[in-house]
Amino acid sequence: MREVLEARAVLLNEHAATREEAVERCGRLLVEIGAAAEPYIASMLERERSISTYVGEQVAIPHGLNREAVLRDAVCVVRFPGGVDWEGERVSLCVGIAARGDGHVALLAELAEILLYPERARALREAVDVETVLKELA
Amino acid sequence: MNAKDVRKVIVACDAGMGSSVMLAATLRKQLKGLPVEVEHTPVDAIPADADVVLTHAGLAARARAAAPGKLVIPFQIFLGDPAVTRLVDTLKKGGDLGA
Repeated sequence: MREVLEARAVLLNEHAATREEAVERCGRLLVEIGAAAEPYIASMLERERSISTYVGEQVAIPHGLNREAVLRDAVCVVRFPGGVDWEGERVSLCVGIAARGDGHVALLAELAEILLYPERARALREAVDVETVLKELA
Repeated sequence: MNAKDVRKVIVACDAGMGSSVMLAATLRKQLKGLPVEVEHTPVDAIPADADVVLTHAGLAARARAAAPGKLVIPFQIFLGDPAVTRLVDTLKKGGDLGA
């Protein structure tokens, strides 16, 4: 079985001028790796506009609402070292989610755990190599 | 509702895909050892045997409509929201949770 988080789904040096651009980058990546179909991106943007997916510690978890557009459970990690304004919060790491089952639950549980510890959260959002990200979220 | 009567806490969000999964994982850990089950579901699929429903403030109206008569506790932030902290404290120490 394929991993929920693949190395090619980790981008460490992206730039986004707006929250929409950042969410779109995550959605595009999920489409590129074959985890979601094109309409999923619009759904992610819609969800973000209705309720922010900011979860704290400069991390947001953009995801869509239309499971029909999800092809398999997958997560992407996109780092924005310059930060992105997220309705007044600063976001420097996005964990994009496409899920139709429970394949991503363990990874999100681990992320929740990391975010409880500021030091671990910082290590994750300041990671400069893919290996570190994969290891932290494994 | 009294804390000792709570058996199932539901974390509801719109898709049941992202934020509710994370909060449910954290709660499960915090409530470990108590006879309380924690599940995450979409806000429109709250199970009938839920005792307490935690949901984002923006979804509270939908949660109340989907689960009439249940105790719905809205929160604003995912990490360290006072409403969530209060719920965990009350479930651990006992006491009244409100209507």
